[in-house]
Amino acid sequence: MNKLLRVFLFVCALVTLGCSAEKAQSIELKSEADLAGLRVAAIAGSSYEVDLSSRDDISLQRFNSMGDILQALVSEKVDVAIHDEVYFNADLRKENGIKIAMRGETGSPTAFLFRKHDPELVEACSSVIRRMEEDGTMKRLKDFWLTDKYAETGEYTHIQYEASGEPLRVAVCVAVAPLSFIVDGEWYGLEVDILRELGKELGRPLEIKSHNTASGLLALASGMADVACGCLFITPEREEMFAFSEPYHFYRPAYFVVDREAQKEHVGFAAWLKTIIHKNLIAERRWRFITTGLWVTLKISILAILLGSILGIGLYTMTRSRKKWVRSFPRVYKGILAGIPQLVLLLILFYVVFARTGIPAEIVAVIAFAMYFASSACSIYTSSLDAIPRGQTEAGLALGFTRTQTFLNIVLPQATIRGLPLYKHQCTSLIKGTSIVGYIAIQDITKAGDIIRSRTFDAVIPLLLVTVIYFLLVWLIGALLNLATPKKRVL
Amino acid sequence: MITVSHLSKTFRNPDGSVIQVLKDVNCEIHPGEVISIIGPSGTGKSTLLRVLNLLDPPTGGSIIYDGEDILRKGYPVHMLRRKMGMVFQSFNLFEHMTVLENVIYAPCKIKKTNLEEAREEGLKLLRKVGMAERADSYPSSLSGGQKQRVAIARCLAMKPEVILFDEPTSALDPSMVGEVLSVIRSLAKEGMTMLIVTHRLKFARDVSTRVFYMQDGIIYEEGSPKQIFESPRHSATKTFVQSIRKEVFQVSGTDFDFPDMQTRIQQFCIKYNISDKSDNALRACELVLGKLLTAFFPMTVRITHSELSDVTALDFMVEGVATSPLKEAGISPSNMKKLRSLCQEIMEEPTSRGFRVKLLI
Repeated sequence: MNKLLRVFLFVCALVTLGCSAEKAQSIELKSEADLAGLRVAAIAGSSYEVDLSSRDDISLQRFNSMGDILQALVSEKVDVAIHDEVYFNADLRKENGIKIAMRGETGSPTAFLFRKHDPELVEACSSVIRRMEEDGTMKRLKDFWLTDKYAETGEYTHIQYEASGEPLRVAVCVAVAPLSFIVDGEWYGLEVDILRELGKELGRPLEIKSHNTASGLLALASGMADVACGCLFITPEREEMFAFSEPYHFYRPAYFVVDREAQKEHVGFAAWLKTIIHKNLIAERRWRFITTGLWVTLKISILAILLGSILGIGLYTMTRSRKKWVRSFPRVYKGILAGIPQLVLLLILFYVVFARTGIPAEIVAVIAFAMYFASSACSIYTSSLDAIPRGQTEAGLALGFTRTQTFLNIVLPQATIRGLPLYKHQCTSLIKGTSIVGYIAIQDITKAGDIIRSRTFDAVIPLLLVTVIYFLLVWLIGALLNLATPKKRVL
Repeated sequence: MITVSHLSKTFRNPDGSVIQVLKDVNCEIHPGEVISIIGPSGTGKSTLLRVLNLLDPPTGGSIIYDGEDILRKGYPVHMLRRKMGMVFQSFNLFEHMTVLENVIYAPCKIKKTNLEEAREEGLKLLRKVGMAERADSYPSSLSGGQKQRVAIARCLAMKPEVILFDEPTSALDPSMVGEVLSVIRSLAKEGMTMLIVTHRLKFARDVSTRVFYMQDGIIYEEGSPKQIFESPRHSATKTFVQSIRKEVFQVSGTDFDFPDMQTRIQQFCIKYNISDKSDNALRACELVLGKLLTAFFPMTVRITHSELSDVTALDFMVEGVATSPLKEAGISPSNMKKLRSLCQEIMEEPTSRGFRVKLLI
């Protein structure tokens, strides 16, 4: 704990140092030519990155999310960041540290994405968008969401409707205010409101899941979702694979720079800490992401450990079989799993094997991690049980214990002493390994941190908090397992 | 008490071949008997014990214990084993328990003996085998002999009616055999019924009331120790019980590894419990090989010991000579006197290939 505190203080010191850096002029941009010689950040795989990568007079740096880009900008790793204008939302403006130096000329058509063999749904969506344009609903919504009104009122509402049909499953590729974002467990935003209109029209309730761009599109392609959104531009590549509804808006690109002229209030450390804690945890009850995420991580970890331990017993029993093919199965199984990265197996199980079975993602995650755990548990059982000499069993039997008593009272305690440290190690790596479940749209503790970061564009508190929680989880599981260690005194 | 008839046991090797270890064993064991089971290696002595308490179930035949057929289906084997203790060659103490816990674990768990009572009883047993002082030690800190004595105490704690000893001293350093044998001896005196598989013929002769000589999967000959060791009926028994232990050295010349030879002679003496003769044997060797017969290399040197007659001899065999090397070497009277003082008798005899000088130590 002491160590952790030191790391925390170190990070805080870095941040305060960053705040007190000397003032200089903000970067001015008039046209794209002004980018020459600058370090420019863009989202990897975005159309901006593709456009800029042909220019050799700039140093292009690729990032995964808007949050990362802003961090790079603030910490002066890059000079300019290019991204959709819509990302410069009220939260960001309030920060006062970033400004838009220049806006792009043309906007990109943005729409909802569907599977190609769902033409009725595409048409339904397009007609809803057309209808909303005609009756002025769209203008009213854009007035609310695309200006600062939503942030000023802080009261988000949306249309309520009763629907009992099959749920319309929405994959949010990038959850961002003001298009689609979660407050206190409820989804809000411009895109969410449009989809609600669609759901109302079709009589289907919405079932919204938060993804990243890659996994969101994968979910749509594999049939785990019916529609994808999240500021998705209509591009030729996407049109090849998917069907777009009519565009509901044209977003322009924006060039973000650090706003050096902005009067930064000098705040003390305590006040600063209070602000970022408020921003990341208290505001909009964002701590709820953390608590629900923690519960999900804990649930997946414990279930996977239990299921994996039991499957491991099955594998171990097979190694003792008389039949040769049964005996060799665990070896083959372990060999195959050892060669597949956990993330890949998780994706295969979710998007291929269980794609159309409707099994909840959390169960798929438990199965995937249990499969890995079973393989290492089997190895642990083998190495610790086989290390107990046969004579121990014979001595137990010869004293008059039954076979079961001998195993439970004499062999097992000795094997536990041997195997527990390894078992503990496997448990802790499993807990930490579950941090990848965000890829199949599960909101675990890591994803909770990501969601908060995507709203606050602040890395320190969410990442630090997530780190501390993993640390405590691992410590907790270790302590629980220590209780299982055979007592020094057996009688 | 135990009636064994037509007992057989076959093992199947992993490659499918079948070995018949016990062919047709018949015997009767009465309360208070101390039975030693001797015989060459691999003749089923240990298997017989393991079959008796059903650690290895027999393939055929019958075992009746106190009038009850213990091979019938559904017989509670663990109940039988509570009455029939076993001491293993490799001790098999429970490594995760202290000495005292090893002893009282089974009574506490199986007989539900009150912990205080069991502790008292356990310490009494440990005192009996001389291990009370180490009651709170863990087995890993004990010597082999100490472990085996604890194992005997553990076995006694269940108050068995009969104890099976499976080569209790075979895994021990020669120097630790004595302590274990003396514990078994004292048990014999108390009238405990015991079956002991052993290679220690002298011990078998001293302690047993009856001896089984096993060979080829059957009890080849049984009888009182006197009969088996002094007037065995079968020639195989005779060959075995009178067999002579030996260690042979080919001394090629003065470059021979004499220190190694000394160590091996010392070990030989410890192994056959004749450490008192070790000194004289070594000195005689040194005298003969270092001074008296240096002219006669290469030669073959042999130390032999007969366990039953307790005769130890050093043979120096020289090939291709017709007369006694001792005479030919022209040994001074003082040296001859020295040699005589080291042994009981000096014998010189021609062999088919040369001449042999035999010293009885």
